[in-house]
Amino acid sequence: MGQKENDVVIRDLDKIYGNLLKEDTVALKGINLSIKKGEFVSIIGPSGCGKSTLLKIIGGLEKLSAGTIEYSDPENRLGFVFQDSVLLPWKNVRENAEFPLVIQKKQTKENEEKLDALLDLAGLKEFSSALPRELSGGMKSRVSIVRALSYDAPLLLMDEPFGALDALTRDHLNIELLKIWSKTNKTIIFVTHSIEEAVFLSDRVIVMATRPGRIREIVPIDLTRPRDEDSRNDSKFGEYCRYLREIIG
Amino acid sequence: MKNRSKLQKIASGIWEYTLSIGIFIAFWFVYVRFADVPAYILPSPGVVWISFVDLFRTGMVWPHLWTTSYEVLFGFFIGSLLGMILGYIFIKIDFLKVALMPYLIFLQTAPKIALVPLFVIWFGIGIVSKIVLIISMVIFPVLSGMMLGLDSIPADVRNLLKVLKANRWQVFSQVEIKYSLPALFSSLKIGIVQAVIGAIVAEWMSGKQGLGYILTYASSTYKISMLLAGIVLTILLGIATYEMVNIFENKLLYWHESKRNQE
Ligand SMILES: Nc1ncnc2c1ncn2[C@@H]1O[C@H](COP(=O)(O)OP(=O)(O)OP(=O)(O)O)[C@@H](O)[C@H]1O
Ligand SMILES: [Mg+2]
Repeated sequence: MGQKENDVVIRDLDKIYGNLLKEDTVALKGINLSIKKGEFVSIIGPSGCGKSTLLKIIGGLEKLSAGTIEYSDPENRLGFVFQDSVLLPWKNVRENAEFPLVIQKKQTKENEEKLDALLDLAGLKEFSSALPRELSGGMKSRVSIVRALSYDAPLLLMDEPFGALDALTRDHLNIELLKIWSKTNKTIIFVTHSIEEAVFLSDRVIVMATRPGRIREIVPIDLTRPRDEDSRNDSKFGEYCRYLREIIG
Repeated sequence: MKNRSKLQKIASGIWEYTLSIGIFIAFWFVYVRFADVPAYILPSPGVVWISFVDLFRTGMVWPHLWTTSYEVLFGFFIGSLLGMILGYIFIKIDFLKVALMPYLIFLQTAPKIALVPLFVIWFGIGIVSKIVLIISMVIFPVLSGMMLGLDSIPADVRNLLKVLKANRWQVFSQVEIKYSLPALFSSLKIGIVQAVIGAIVAEWMSGKQGLGYILTYASSTYKISMLLAGIVLTILLGIATYEMVNIFENKLLYWHESKRNQE
Protein backbone atom coordinates (compact mmCIF):
# COMPACT_ATOMS: atom_id res chain seq x y z
CA MET A 1 0.00 0.00 0.00
CA GLY A 2 2.64 2.47 1.13
CA GLN A 3 4.53 2.38 -2.15
CA LYS A 4 1.43 3.16 -4.23
CA GLU A 5 1.13 6.43 -6.06
CA ASN A 6 -1.17 9.17 -4.76
CA ASP A 7 -4.34 9.82 -6.73
CA VAL A 8 -5.64 12.92 -4.95
CA VAL A 9 -3.61 15.15 -2.65
CA ILE A 10 -5.34 17.86 -0.63
CA ARG A 11 -3.26 20.44 1.23
CA ASP A 12 -4.46 23.01 3.80
CA LEU A 13 -7.91 23.20 2.29
CA ASP A 14 -10.42 25.74 3.64
CA LYS A 15 -13.95 26.29 2.43
CA ILE A 16 -15.92 29.29 3.57
CA TYR A 17 -19.45 30.01 2.40
CA GLY A 18 -19.95 33.77 2.39
CA ASN A 19 -23.22 35.06 3.75
CA LEU A 20 -24.50 38.61 3.46
CA LEU A 21 -26.79 38.56 6.46
CA LYS A 22 -25.22 36.15 8.92
CA GLU A 23 -21.69 35.22 9.82
CA ASP A 24 -19.81 33.30 7.11
CA THR A 25 -20.02 29.50 7.40
CA VAL A 26 -16.64 27.85 7.77
CA ALA A 27 -17.61 24.56 6.14
CA LEU A 28 -14.08 23.12 6.05
CA LYS A 29 -10.92 24.16 7.89
CA GLY A 30 -7.34 22.94 7.37
CA ILE A 31 -8.05 19.70 5.52
CA ASN A 32 -4.94 17.66 4.65
CA LEU A 33 -5.52 14.35 2.95
CA SER A 34 -3.80 12.06 0.45
CA ILE A 35 -5.73 9.33 -1.28
CA LYS A 36 -3.86 6.52 -3.00
CA LYS A 37 -4.58 5.11 -6.43
CA GLY A 38 -7.10 2.30 -6.18
CA GLU A 39 -7.85 3.03 -2.55
CA PHE A 40 -11.34 2.78 -1.03
CA VAL A 41 -11.82 5.59 1.48
CA SER A 42 -14.94 6.41 3.47
CA ILE A 43 -15.82 9.73 5.02
CA ILE A 44 -18.03 9.69 8.08
CA GLY A 45 -19.15 12.35 10.53
CA PRO A 46 -22.13 14.19 11.97
CA SER A 47 -24.63 15.92 9.71
CA GLY A 48 -23.41 19.31 8.52
CA CYS A 49 -19.70 18.60 9.12
CA GLY A 50 -18.91 19.22 5.45
CA LYS A 51 -18.79 15.73 3.92
CA SER A 52 -20.76 16.68 0.81
CA THR A 53 -18.85 19.93 0.52
CA LEU A 54 -15.51 18.11 0.62
CA LEU A 55 -16.68 15.62 -2.00
CA LYS A 56 -17.93 18.40 -4.28
CA ILE A 57 -14.64 20.26 -3.97
CA ILE A 58 -12.74 17.11 -4.90
CA GLY A 59 -15.14 16.70 -7.84
CA GLY A 60 -14.44 20.24 -9.02
CA LEU A 61 -18.03 21.34 -8.38
CA GLU A 62 -17.24 23.87 -5.65
CA LYS A 63 -14.44 26.40 -5.53
CA LEU A 64 -12.05 26.15 -2.63
CA SER A 65 -11.37 29.18 -0.46
CA ALA A 66 -7.75 28.29 0.36
CA GLY A 67 -5.29 25.43 -0.19
CA THR A 68 -4.58 23.17 -3.15
CA ILE A 69 -5.73 19.90 -4.69
CA GLU A 70 -3.64 17.82 -7.06
CA TYR A 71 -4.91 14.97 -9.18
CA SER A 72 -2.89 12.20 -10.79
CA ASP A 73 -5.23 12.00 -13.78
CA PRO A 74 -4.40 14.93 -16.08
CA GLU A 75 -7.85 14.75 -17.67
CA ASN A 76 -9.49 14.72 -14.26
CA ARG A 77 -12.05 12.09 -15.26
CA LEU A 78 -14.40 11.20 -12.47
CA GLY A 79 -17.77 9.68 -11.68
CA PHE A 80 -20.10 11.27 -9.14
CA VAL A 81 -23.05 9.72 -7.35
CA PHE A 82 -25.07 12.54 -5.83
CA GLN A 83 -26.87 12.44 -2.51
CA ASP A 84 -30.19 12.66 -4.40
CA SER A 85 -30.15 10.41 -7.41
CA VAL A 86 -30.85 13.20 -9.99
CA LEU A 87 -32.20 11.09 -12.84
CA LEU A 88 -33.51 12.83 -15.94
CA PRO A 89 -37.29 12.34 -15.70
CA TRP A 90 -37.91 11.90 -19.44
CA LYS A 91 -35.31 9.18 -19.88
CA ASN A 92 -35.99 5.58 -18.94
CA VAL A 93 -33.69 3.54 -16.72
CA ARG A 94 -31.36 2.43 -19.47
CA GLU A 95 -31.21 5.83 -21.14
CA ASN A 96 -30.37 7.46 -17.83
CA ALA A 97 -27.59 4.99 -17.18
CA GLU A 98 -26.35 5.46 -20.74
CA PHE A 99 -26.35 9.26 -20.50
CA PRO A 100 -22.58 9.66 -19.82
CA LEU A 101 -21.78 7.50 -22.86
CA VAL A 102 -24.03 9.71 -24.99
CA ILE A 103 -22.47 12.94 -23.73
CA GLN A 104 -18.95 11.63 -24.14
CA LYS A 105 -19.77 9.98 -27.49
CA LYS A 106 -18.58 6.59 -26.31
CA GLN A 107 -21.52 4.42 -27.31
CA THR A 108 -19.32 1.59 -28.53
CA LYS A 109 -20.60 -1.97 -28.64
CA GLU A 110 -18.24 -2.87 -25.83
CA ASN A 111 -19.46 -0.08 -23.56
CA GLU A 112 -23.10 -0.88 -24.28
CA GLU A 113 -22.55 -4.50 -23.33
CA LYS A 114 -20.77 -3.43 -20.18
CA LEU A 115 -23.72 -1.19 -19.36
CA ASP A 116 -26.20 -4.04 -19.78
CA ALA A 117 -24.09 -6.21 -17.51
CA LEU A 118 -24.06 -3.48 -14.87
CA LEU A 119 -27.84 -3.04 -15.11
CA ASP A 120 -28.21 -6.76 -14.67
CA LEU A 121 -25.89 -6.73 -11.70
CA ALA A 122 -27.88 -3.93 -10.07
CA GLY A 123 -31.11 -5.89 -10.58
CA LEU A 124 -32.47 -3.33 -13.03
CA LYS A 125 -32.67 -5.40 -16.18
CA GLU A 126 -36.44 -5.90 -16.13
CA PHE A 127 -36.90 -2.18 -15.50
CA SER A 128 -34.79 -0.97 -18.42
CA SER A 129 -37.67 0.88 -20.04
CA ALA A 130 -39.31 2.21 -16.86
CA LEU A 131 -39.39 5.98 -16.30
CA PRO A 132 -37.91 7.39 -13.06
CA ARG A 133 -41.35 8.28 -11.71
CA GLU A 134 -42.18 4.55 -11.77
CA LEU A 135 -39.18 3.58 -9.61
CA SER A 136 -38.74 3.25 -5.85
CA GLY A 137 -36.13 5.37 -4.09
CA GLY A 138 -33.75 2.44 -3.87
CA MET A 139 -34.07 1.66 -7.55
CA LYS A 140 -33.35 5.28 -8.44
CA SER A 141 -30.16 5.28 -6.43
CA ARG A 142 -29.08 2.04 -8.12
CA VAL A 143 -29.62 3.65 -11.53
CA SER A 144 -27.50 6.62 -10.53
CA ILE A 145 -24.74 4.29 -9.37
CA VAL A 146 -24.80 2.34 -12.64
CA ARG A 147 -24.67 5.68 -14.46
CA ALA A 148 -21.51 6.65 -12.59
CA LEU A 149 -19.93 3.27 -13.34
CA SER A 150 -20.94 3.14 -17.01
CA TYR A 151 -17.90 5.02 -18.27
CA ASP A 152 -14.35 4.46 -17.21
CA ALA A 153 -13.51 7.21 -14.78
CA PRO A 154 -10.60 6.22 -12.55
CA LEU A 155 -11.98 8.22 -9.60
CA LEU A 156 -15.46 7.60 -8.20
CA LEU A 157 -17.04 9.97 -5.67
CA MET A 158 -20.14 8.69 -3.91
CA ASP A 159 -22.30 10.78 -1.58
CA GLU A 160 -24.40 8.46 0.60
CA PRO A 161 -25.40 6.37 -2.41
CA PHE A 162 -27.13 3.70 -0.33
CA GLY A 163 -28.81 6.09 2.10
CA ALA A 164 -32.26 5.37 0.66
CA LEU A 165 -31.95 1.58 0.81
CA ASP A 166 -33.08 -1.01 3.34
CA ALA A 167 -30.34 -2.78 5.28
CA LEU A 168 -30.54 -6.04 3.29
CA THR A 169 -30.28 -4.45 -0.14
CA ARG A 170 -27.58 -2.20 1.18
CA ASP A 171 -25.44 -5.11 2.41
CA HIS A 172 -25.94 -6.87 -0.91
CA LEU A 173 -24.96 -3.82 -2.97
CA ASN A 174 -21.95 -3.20 -0.74
CA ILE A 175 -20.60 -6.58 -1.76
CA GLU A 176 -21.34 -5.90 -5.43
CA LEU A 177 -19.63 -2.53 -5.19
CA LEU A 178 -16.52 -4.16 -3.73
CA LYS A 179 -16.52 -6.68 -6.60
CA ILE A 180 -16.70 -3.93 -9.19
CA TRP A 181 -14.05 -1.94 -7.36
CA SER A 182 -11.62 -4.84 -7.25
CA LYS A 183 -12.18 -5.56 -10.95
CA THR A 184 -11.78 -1.97 -12.14
CA ASN A 185 -9.06 -0.56 -9.86
CA LYS A 186 -11.04 2.61 -9.34
CA THR A 187 -10.26 4.97 -6.51
CA ILE A 188 -13.44 5.40 -4.49
CA ILE A 189 -14.27 8.13 -1.99
CA PHE A 190 -17.47 7.17 -0.25
CA VAL A 191 -19.54 9.35 2.11
CA THR A 192 -21.82 7.51 4.51
CA HIS A 193 -23.67 7.83 7.79
CA SER A 194 -23.31 4.15 8.58
CA ILE A 195 -20.28 3.12 10.63
CA GLU A 196 -20.75 -0.57 9.67
CA GLU A 197 -20.84 0.31 5.99
CA ALA A 198 -17.70 2.44 6.28
CA VAL A 199 -15.79 -0.31 8.06
CA PHE A 200 -17.00 -3.03 5.72
CA LEU A 201 -16.03 -1.19 2.54
CA SER A 202 -12.94 0.82 3.30
CA ASP A 203 -9.19 0.73 3.46
CA ARG A 204 -9.36 3.85 5.61
CA VAL A 205 -12.18 5.65 7.38
CA ILE A 206 -11.90 9.42 7.66
CA VAL A 207 -13.75 10.69 10.69
CA MET A 208 -14.80 14.32 10.47
CA ALA A 209 -15.86 16.71 13.21
CA THR A 210 -18.08 19.72 12.93
CA ARG A 211 -17.82 23.49 13.48
CA PRO A 212 -15.56 24.05 11.76
CA GLY A 213 -15.62 20.99 9.49
CA ARG A 214 -12.29 19.22 9.93
CA ILE A 215 -10.67 15.79 10.02
CA ARG A 216 -10.70 14.35 13.53
CA GLU A 217 -8.97 11.06 12.87
CA ILE A 218 -8.09 8.71 10.04
CA VAL A 219 -8.63 5.05 10.94
CA PRO A 220 -6.98 2.38 8.75
CA ILE A 221 -9.18 -0.74 8.48
CA ASP A 222 -7.03 -3.83 8.47
CA LEU A 223 -9.53 -6.52 7.46
CA THR A 224 -8.62 -9.13 4.87
CA ARG A 225 -9.89 -8.82 1.31
CA PRO A 226 -11.94 -9.93 -0.53
CA ARG A 227 -14.63 -9.22 2.03
CA ASP A 228 -18.03 -10.92 2.13
CA GLU A 229 -20.88 -11.55 4.60
CA ASP A 230 -18.48 -13.42 6.90
CA SER A 231 -16.26 -10.36 7.30
CA ARG A 232 -19.00 -8.80 9.42
CA ASN A 233 -18.65 -11.64 11.91
CA ASP A 234 -14.91 -11.05 12.26
CA SER A 235 -14.15 -9.89 15.81
CA LYS A 236 -11.95 -7.11 14.41
CA PHE A 237 -14.96 -5.80 12.47
CA GLY A 238 -16.88 -5.31 15.71
CA GLU A 239 -13.90 -3.66 17.36
CA TYR A 240 -13.49 -1.13 14.57
CA CYS A 241 -17.18 -0.27 14.74
CA ARG A 242 -17.04 0.18 18.51
CA TYR A 243 -13.92 2.33 18.28
CA LEU A 244 -15.43 4.58 15.59
CA ARG A 245 -18.68 4.93 17.52
CA GLU A 246 -16.65 6.11 20.51
CA ILE A 247 -14.71 8.82 18.71
CA ILE A 248 -17.73 10.08 16.80
CA GLY A 249 -19.53 10.20 20.15
CA MET B 1 -57.38 -2.70 -22.73
CA LYS B 2 -55.43 0.52 -22.56
CA ASN B 3 -56.83 1.65 -25.93
CA ARG B 4 -60.38 0.95 -24.96
CA SER B 5 -60.22 2.97 -21.78
CA LYS B 6 -58.63 5.78 -23.78
CA LEU B 7 -61.54 5.74 -26.25
CA GLN B 8 -64.01 5.64 -23.43
CA LYS B 9 -62.34 8.63 -21.88
CA ILE B 10 -62.55 10.62 -25.11
CA ALA B 11 -66.18 9.58 -25.59
CA SER B 12 -67.15 10.60 -22.08
CA GLY B 13 -65.28 13.88 -22.57
CA ILE B 14 -67.28 14.67 -25.71
CA TRP B 15 -70.46 13.66 -23.95
CA GLU B 16 -69.76 16.02 -21.02
CA TYR B 17 -69.05 18.89 -23.41
CA THR B 18 -72.23 18.27 -25.39
CA LEU B 19 -74.30 18.02 -22.26
CA SER B 20 -73.06 21.27 -20.72
CA ILE B 21 -73.38 23.21 -23.98
CA GLY B 22 -76.78 21.61 -24.56
CA ILE B 23 -78.05 22.76 -21.17
CA PHE B 24 -76.76 26.26 -21.86
CA ILE B 25 -78.50 26.42 -25.24
CA ALA B 26 -81.72 25.05 -23.75
CA PHE B 27 -81.72 27.79 -21.12
CA TRP B 28 -81.05 30.41 -23.79
CA PHE B 29 -83.90 29.06 -25.92
CA VAL B 30 -86.38 28.96 -23.04
CA TYR B 31 -85.37 32.42 -21.83
CA VAL B 32 -85.76 34.08 -25.23
CA ARG B 33 -89.08 32.33 -25.84
CA PHE B 34 -90.78 32.96 -22.49
CA ALA B 35 -89.29 36.29 -21.46
CA ASP B 36 -90.23 37.76 -24.84
CA VAL B 37 -86.78 39.12 -25.53
CA PRO B 38 -86.83 41.10 -28.80
CA ALA B 39 -84.70 39.53 -31.57
CA TYR B 40 -82.55 42.69 -31.96
CA ILE B 41 -81.38 42.29 -28.35
CA LEU B 42 -80.93 38.54 -28.21
CA PRO B 43 -82.06 36.28 -31.04
CA SER B 44 -82.90 32.66 -30.33
CA PRO B 45 -80.20 30.00 -30.71
CA GLY B 46 -81.88 28.74 -33.87
CA VAL B 47 -81.52 32.11 -35.61
CA VAL B 48 -77.87 32.40 -34.58
CA TRP B 49 -77.26 28.91 -35.87
CA ILE B 50 -78.75 29.85 -39.26
CA SER B 51 -76.53 32.93 -39.37
CA PHE B 52 -73.55 30.80 -38.47
CA VAL B 53 -74.29 28.35 -41.26
CA ASP B 54 -74.88 31.25 -43.65
CA LEU B 55 -71.40 32.59 -42.97
CA PHE B 56 -70.04 29.41 -44.45
CA ARG B 57 -72.79 28.71 -47.03
CA THR B 58 -72.29 32.04 -48.73
CA GLY B 59 -68.55 31.56 -48.46
CA MET B 60 -68.10 35.12 -47.19
CA VAL B 61 -66.37 33.97 -43.98
CA TRP B 62 -63.48 32.05 -45.55
CA PRO B 63 -61.10 34.92 -46.36
CA HIS B 64 -61.72 36.42 -42.92
CA LEU B 65 -61.21 33.13 -41.11
CA TRP B 66 -58.06 32.54 -43.12
CA THR B 67 -56.68 36.02 -42.36
CA THR B 68 -57.27 35.71 -38.63
CA SER B 69 -55.91 32.15 -38.41
CA TYR B 70 -52.86 33.17 -40.36
CA GLU B 71 -52.21 36.18 -38.13
CA VAL B 72 -52.72 34.14 -34.97
CA LEU B 73 -50.48 31.25 -35.98
CA PHE B 74 -47.75 33.33 -37.57
CA GLY B 75 -47.69 35.90 -34.75
CA PHE B 76 -47.77 33.16 -32.13
CA PHE B 77 -44.93 31.31 -33.81
CA ILE B 78 -42.66 34.34 -34.09
CA GLY B 79 -43.62 35.65 -30.64
CA SER B 80 -42.92 32.29 -28.95
CA LEU B 81 -39.66 31.85 -30.79
CA LEU B 82 -38.48 35.32 -29.75
CA GLY B 83 -39.71 34.73 -26.20
CA MET B 84 -37.80 31.48 -25.94
CA ILE B 85 -34.60 32.94 -27.37
CA LEU B 86 -34.78 36.03 -25.15
CA GLY B 87 -35.57 33.91 -22.08
CA TYR B 88 -32.52 31.75 -22.75
CA ILE B 89 -30.28 34.76 -23.32
CA PHE B 90 -31.55 36.51 -20.17
CA ILE B 91 -30.79 33.47 -18.03
CA LYS B 92 -27.31 33.12 -19.51
CA ILE B 93 -26.32 36.80 -19.63
CA ASP B 94 -27.35 38.64 -16.50
CA PHE B 95 -26.33 42.00 -17.86
CA LEU B 96 -28.78 41.83 -20.77
CA LYS B 97 -31.57 40.80 -18.44
CA VAL B 98 -30.96 43.83 -16.24
CA ALA B 99 -30.72 46.11 -19.27
CA LEU B 100 -33.72 44.89 -21.27
CA MET B 101 -36.21 43.64 -18.69
CA PRO B 102 -37.65 47.09 -17.86
CA TYR B 103 -38.66 47.61 -21.50
CA LEU B 104 -40.35 44.24 -21.64
CA ILE B 105 -42.22 44.89 -18.43
CA PHE B 106 -43.28 48.23 -19.86
CA LEU B 107 -44.47 46.46 -22.99
CA GLN B 108 -46.27 43.88 -20.91
CA THR B 109 -48.10 46.28 -18.62
CA ALA B 110 -49.02 48.88 -21.26
CA PRO B 111 -52.64 48.35 -22.33
CA LYS B 112 -52.29 46.76 -25.75
CA ILE B 113 -55.35 48.48 -27.19
CA ALA B 114 -53.58 51.77 -26.63
CA LEU B 115 -50.72 50.54 -28.77
CA VAL B 116 -52.85 49.59 -31.77
CA PRO B 117 -53.13 53.14 -33.23
CA LEU B 118 -49.39 53.55 -32.79
CA PHE B 119 -48.69 50.27 -34.56
CA VAL B 120 -51.09 51.30 -37.34
CA ILE B 121 -49.14 54.54 -37.86
CA TRP B 122 -45.84 52.68 -37.83
CA PHE B 123 -46.76 49.54 -39.74
CA GLY B 124 -49.89 50.48 -41.71
CA ILE B 125 -53.40 49.05 -41.50
CA GLY B 126 -52.33 45.80 -43.17
CA ILE B 127 -51.34 42.55 -41.65
CA VAL B 128 -47.96 43.73 -40.33
CA SER B 129 -49.35 45.92 -37.57
CA LYS B 130 -51.57 43.05 -36.42
CA ILE B 131 -48.75 40.58 -36.28
CA VAL B 132 -46.58 43.06 -34.40
CA LEU B 133 -49.35 43.44 -31.83
CA ILE B 134 -49.72 39.67 -31.47
CA ILE B 135 -45.98 39.23 -31.07
CA SER B 136 -45.97 41.89 -28.37
CA MET B 137 -48.69 40.00 -26.51
CA VAL B 138 -47.16 36.53 -26.85
CA ILE B 139 -43.53 37.33 -26.17
CA PHE B 140 -43.71 38.18 -22.48
CA PRO B 141 -45.54 35.15 -21.09
CA VAL B 142 -43.34 32.83 -23.16
CA LEU B 143 -40.18 34.61 -22.05
CA SER B 144 -41.23 34.31 -18.39
CA GLY B 145 -42.09 30.63 -18.86
CA MET B 146 -38.75 29.91 -20.49
CA MET B 147 -36.86 31.63 -17.68
CA LEU B 148 -38.86 29.83 -15.02
CA GLY B 149 -38.22 26.53 -16.77
CA LEU B 150 -34.48 27.09 -17.06
CA ASP B 151 -34.32 28.11 -13.41
CA SER B 152 -36.09 24.93 -12.34
CA ILE B 153 -33.16 22.69 -13.26
CA PRO B 154 -31.82 21.11 -10.05
CA ALA B 155 -28.29 22.17 -9.08
CA ASP B 156 -27.07 18.58 -9.04
CA VAL B 157 -28.24 18.02 -12.62
CA ARG B 158 -26.00 20.92 -13.63
CA ASN B 159 -23.26 19.35 -11.51
CA LEU B 160 -23.73 16.04 -13.32
CA LEU B 161 -23.30 17.78 -16.67
CA LYS B 162 -20.18 19.48 -15.39
CA VAL B 163 -18.70 16.18 -14.19
CA LEU B 164 -19.40 14.69 -17.63
CA LYS B 165 -17.86 17.77 -19.28
CA ALA B 166 -20.91 18.31 -21.46
CA ASN B 167 -20.55 21.17 -23.92
CA ARG B 168 -22.96 24.10 -24.13
CA TRP B 169 -24.99 22.62 -26.96
CA GLN B 170 -25.35 19.28 -25.18
CA VAL B 171 -26.45 21.04 -22.02
CA PHE B 172 -29.07 22.94 -23.99
CA SER B 173 -30.37 20.21 -26.26
CA GLN B 174 -30.19 17.28 -23.84
CA VAL B 175 -31.25 18.86 -20.59
CA GLU B 176 -32.21 22.53 -20.51
CA ILE B 177 -34.87 22.42 -23.20
CA LYS B 178 -36.47 19.31 -21.70
CA TYR B 179 -36.56 20.72 -18.18
CA SER B 180 -38.05 23.94 -19.56
CA LEU B 181 -40.92 22.25 -21.35
CA PRO B 182 -43.46 22.08 -18.48
CA ALA B 183 -43.21 25.78 -17.64
CA LEU B 184 -42.81 26.64 -21.31
CA PHE B 185 -46.04 24.91 -22.28
CA SER B 186 -47.99 26.62 -19.50
CA SER B 187 -46.80 29.90 -20.97
CA LEU B 188 -47.47 28.85 -24.58
CA LYS B 189 -51.08 28.15 -23.62
CA ILE B 190 -51.38 31.65 -22.25
CA GLY B 191 -49.61 32.91 -25.38
CA ILE B 192 -51.98 31.29 -27.85
CA VAL B 193 -55.02 32.72 -26.06
CA GLN B 194 -53.34 36.13 -26.07
CA ALA B 195 -52.64 35.75 -29.79
CA VAL B 196 -56.32 35.23 -30.61
CA ILE B 197 -57.33 38.20 -28.46
CA GLY B 198 -54.63 40.31 -30.09
CA ALA B 199 -55.77 39.42 -33.60
CA ILE B 200 -59.43 40.17 -32.90
CA VAL B 201 -58.67 43.45 -31.14
CA ALA B 202 -56.37 44.61 -33.93
CA GLU B 203 -58.89 43.72 -36.64
CA TRP B 204 -61.65 45.33 -34.64
CA MET B 205 -59.75 48.60 -34.57
CA SER B 206 -58.40 48.69 -38.09
CA GLY B 207 -58.52 46.86 -41.37
CA LYS B 208 -61.04 45.26 -43.66
CA GLN B 209 -60.29 41.60 -43.11
CA GLY B 210 -60.57 39.04 -40.35
CA LEU B 211 -63.07 37.80 -37.79
CA GLY B 212 -62.63 41.01 -35.78
CA TYR B 213 -63.74 42.93 -38.84
CA ILE B 214 -66.87 40.74 -39.15
CA LEU B 215 -67.68 41.64 -35.55
CA THR B 216 -67.35 45.41 -36.16
CA TYR B 217 -69.27 45.15 -39.39
CA ALA B 218 -72.13 43.16 -37.78
CA SER B 219 -72.28 45.45 -34.79
CA SER B 220 -72.26 48.69 -36.77
CA THR B 221 -75.03 47.39 -39.04
CA TYR B 222 -77.07 45.95 -36.15
CA LYS B 223 -76.86 42.40 -37.47
CA ILE B 224 -77.03 40.91 -34.00
CA SER B 225 -77.38 37.28 -35.09
CA MET B 226 -74.34 37.65 -37.32
CA LEU B 227 -72.47 39.28 -34.44
CA LEU B 228 -73.25 36.33 -32.19
CA ALA B 229 -72.33 33.87 -34.92
CA GLY B 230 -69.01 35.72 -35.31
CA ILE B 231 -68.39 35.54 -31.57
CA VAL B 232 -69.05 31.80 -31.60
CA LEU B 233 -66.62 31.40 -34.48
CA THR B 234 -63.96 33.39 -32.60
CA ILE B 235 -64.41 31.14 -29.58
CA LEU B 236 -64.12 28.06 -31.77
CA LEU B 237 -60.92 29.40 -33.30
CA GLY B 238 -59.59 30.01 -29.79
CA ILE B 239 -60.44 26.47 -28.69
CA ALA B 240 -58.95 24.93 -31.83
CA THR B 241 -55.62 26.77 -31.54
CA TYR B 242 -55.45 26.09 -27.79
CA GLU B 243 -56.04 22.40 -28.40
CA MET B 244 -53.22 22.39 -30.94
CA VAL B 245 -50.81 23.54 -28.25
CA ASN B 246 -52.34 20.98 -25.89
CA ILE B 247 -51.74 18.14 -28.32
CA PHE B 248 -48.09 19.14 -28.70
CA GLU B 249 -47.77 19.27 -24.94
CA ASN B 250 -49.18 15.78 -24.47
CA LYS B 251 -46.81 14.48 -27.13
CA LEU B 252 -43.69 16.08 -25.66
CA LEU B 253 -44.42 15.85 -21.95
CA TYR B 254 -45.42 12.20 -21.71
CA TRP B 255 -42.79 11.75 -19.00
CA HIS B 256 -44.03 14.50 -16.73
CA GLU B 257 -45.74 13.90 -13.37
CA SER B 258 -48.79 15.85 -14.51
CA LYS B 259 -49.39 13.31 -17.30
CA ARG B 260 -49.19 10.30 -15.02
CA ASN B 261 -52.93 9.60 -15.02
CA GLN B 262 -53.58 10.38 -18.65
CA GLU B 263 -52.06 7.28 -20.17
N1 LIG C 1 -24.27 26.30 -0.97
C1 LIG C 1 -24.09 26.55 0.34
N2 LIG C 1 -24.16 27.82 0.81
C2 LIG C 1 -23.95 28.09 2.11
N3 LIG C 1 -23.67 27.17 3.04
C3 LIG C 1 -23.58 25.89 2.65
C4 LIG C 1 -23.78 25.50 1.29
N4 LIG C 1 -23.65 24.15 1.18
C5 LIG C 1 -23.38 23.73 2.43
N5 LIG C 1 -23.32 24.76 3.32
C6 LIG C 1 -22.99 24.66 4.75
O1 LIG C 1 -21.80 23.94 4.87
C7 LIG C 1 -21.86 23.03 5.97
C8 LIG C 1 -21.55 21.63 5.48
O2 LIG C 1 -22.58 21.17 4.61
P1 LIG C 1 -22.52 19.74 3.91
O3 LIG C 1 -23.70 19.62 3.03
O4 LIG C 1 -21.19 19.57 3.30
O5 LIG C 1 -22.68 18.76 5.18
P2 LIG C 1 -22.75 17.18 5.20
O6 LIG C 1 -21.68 16.72 6.10
O7 LIG C 1 -22.77 16.62 3.82
O8 LIG C 1 -24.16 16.93 5.90
P3 LIG C 1 -25.20 15.72 5.68
O9 LIG C 1 -24.60 14.54 6.39
O10 LIG C 1 -26.43 16.20 6.35
O11 LIG C 1 -25.36 15.50 4.22
C9 LIG C 1 -23.25 23.18 6.56
O12 LIG C 1 -23.16 24.01 7.69
C10 LIG C 1 -24.04 23.85 5.50
O13 LIG C 1 -25.02 24.68 6.06
MG1 LIG D 1 -24.22 15.58 2.64
